[in-house]
Amino acid sequence: MLRKLFHELSTLPKYIYVFAAITAFGLSIGIYRMYAGLGVTTNLSKAFPWGIWISFDLATVALSGGAFTLAALVYVLHFESLHSAVRPTVLAGLLGYSSVLVILLFDLGRWDRFYNVFLHPNFSSALLEVSWCIAAYSSILFYELSPVLLEKSRWRRFLPTIKKYTIPIVIAGVTLSTMHQSSLGTMFVIMSPRLHPLWYSMILPIFFLVSSLAAGISLVIAGATVSYWLFGRSLKIRILAKLGWFLPWILSFYVVLKFGELLIAGELDMLFSSGHYSVLFWAELIIGFFIPIAWFSFKRVRNSRILSMFGAFMIMGGVVLNRFDVTWFGMNPVDGETYSPHWMEVAILVGVVAGLITIYSLVAHYFPVYEETELYREPANTAPRLQEAPASGD
Amino acid sequence: MSHTFNTPRYGFLIDASKCIDCRTCMVSCSVENNVSMETTRIWIKETGVTGTFPDLSRYTVPYHCMHCVDPSCVSACTVGALQRTEDGIVKYDNDICIGCRYCMYACPFEVPNYEWDQQLPLVVKCDMCFSRLEEGQQPACAQTCPTGAIQFGKYEDMLALAHRMIEENPGKYVDHIYGEEENGGTATLYISPVPFEELGFPIAGTTSPAYSNRLVTEGTPLVAGAMLVGLSGAYLTIKNEKEEAEEERRLAEQTPVAAGEEDSHAS
Ligand code: SF4
Ligand code: SF4
Repeated sequence: MLRKLFHELSTLPKYIYVFAAITAFGLSIGIYRMYAGLGVTTNLSKAFPWGIWISFDLATVALSGGAFTLAALVYVLHFESLHSAVRPTVLAGLLGYSSVLVILLFDLGRWDRFYNVFLHPNFSSALLEVSWCIAAYSSILFYELSPVLLEKSRWRRFLPTIKKYTIPIVIAGVTLSTMHQSSLGTMFVIMSPRLHPLWYSMILPIFFLVSSLAAGISLVIAGATVSYWLFGRSLKIRILAKLGWFLPWILSFYVVLKFGELLIAGELDMLFSSGHYSVLFWAELIIGFFIPIAWFSFKRVRNSRILSMFGAFMIMGGVVLNRFDVTWFGMNPVDGETYSPHWMEVAILVGVVAGLITIYSLVAHYFPVYEETELYREPANTAPRLQEAPASGD
Repeated sequence: MSHTFNTPRYGFLIDASKCIDCRTCMVSCSVENNVSMETTRIWIKETGVTGTFPDLSRYTVPYHCMHCVDPSCVSACTVGALQRTEDGIVKYDNDICIGCRYCMYACPFEVPNYEWDQQLPLVVKCDMCFSRLEEGQQPACAQTCPTGAIQFGKYEDMLALAHRMIEENPGKYVDHIYGEEENGGTATLYISPVPFEELGFPIAGTTSPAYSNRLVTEGTPLVAGAMLVGLSGAYLTIKNEKEEAEEERRLAEQTPVAAGEEDSHAS
């Protein structure tokens, strides 16, 4: 038994061990943080009660938006040709959300009574909406992924039942995602005194929702290309091109809305007069929006893996910067106090991200995640086993 | 949901011209409420030293929760640990709070403090010493302030007093009662010989951000409901259309189709 386990472990690609070690380190710091409190382990203060953890959470949720965008396209709007992208995206989404939940637990000052979120809801709180939706949506993502985990197991017989309810569940999931992607923006609607006007807006929920669509699609495109290199498996280029086709539309919609809002609020003059805020604002828009709009308008770009991936990374960068701006860089300092993270805050984050990669690799190793994807070339030598599981399913 | 906001029953009137920076209020508050001096519920804002020698001046003023009529913190708190009572006191329930610290960012006056040095920390915020009020006493800070810079009483009386002070001492105070309009009105009122910005007071609007917040959060369930219906509709419409197209194609091909095959296609 034990020997079998050791044998099994030795067949895993080596990089998994590295990531597992980083995870263990990060999580032990996390446990220390829960024991010692926030004062000694973070640089959070009265002026900046939220830090890099919240920024990370918002960025991760935005990137995980791929799961609901794709679910809506495939199941609700019947873009069946995109179906093969669903599994890897749902897995990435589920892991993204799980990491957000883990980080939130580290973030809560009173993590010992997190359950009060369910026992004492305050329905006018945007943070309540966010936490309920994220909890519910994570379970839905798990449901969507369950066929992958069950397909080769004894519990195969549940598959028909699961498939039967997939559509209503997916529709509920898409609704929940729309809700919390936008509610994350709503959280800042109450912060008009603190958040710089270049980011503050009553329609932040809409900005967040729209940019999460773009970030989510970009993650699918980038992920497909990365897995092409790593595992030799990927989505058809036709599918990537189709996904890329949506991007200029979504991004342009965002840009028009953004400038329209600034115009109506009479804040256009701030575009150039707000010092480093202006720089951040333009960086976000140029990297994440203007260049990609032009970039993805070219058919040549959409039909090329590497060029699409490049554009996708730019969009993801822009959206992630946007979330950091809203949660951190764009917050006006109080009494000149600013914030930069403590090393333990960063270590916990890195640990959780490493945990994500470890679990993703393990699941992709043992379960048919890439089942419907195309095998393009012989597996790279670095990850020999990653091919076998999915290939045997074909 | 409709929200009615009764005027507060009690109020503070804090006079910046009388504060001598002795910090008695901070000490009495920390003793009364058993919080460390590191994270007090009340602290001193100041102008810093201004003017040129020998005409130097420096103003200070005690600062604590405003007890807003429409408090952002109450609207924001995830678990309803912050509540406004009938009397207009914004209370904190330390048995419920989960420590998300949303209230700290939501409060337009940067009031809620946090016990950063505790293992299981709580929010630190003025509760008007409501247990002292029940015993017919004044809040600790108002009781102990040696110069009478912190006055406490019926809200109407405090507001009237503030107006009278400004009128009867022309030139002594700026003509502004901080808290009368700020954030939709607050139970804590300030008068000051220098503009409030110079004391480091936040420039607050006349409506509470809690209002915009409710506008959006309370609309959310509606949007969710509409989306559920819309998505189901879209799903069924497109499905139906696809099936019809399929049907037509089949008819055009004139090939008889077995019933069983059609079923498996429909899924
Ligand atoms: S001043 Fe801040 S903490 Fe006090 S009631 Fe108003 S919003 Fe709440
Ligand atoms: S820190 Fe406590 S009181 Fe403040 S919003 Fe969170 S749960 Fe409410």
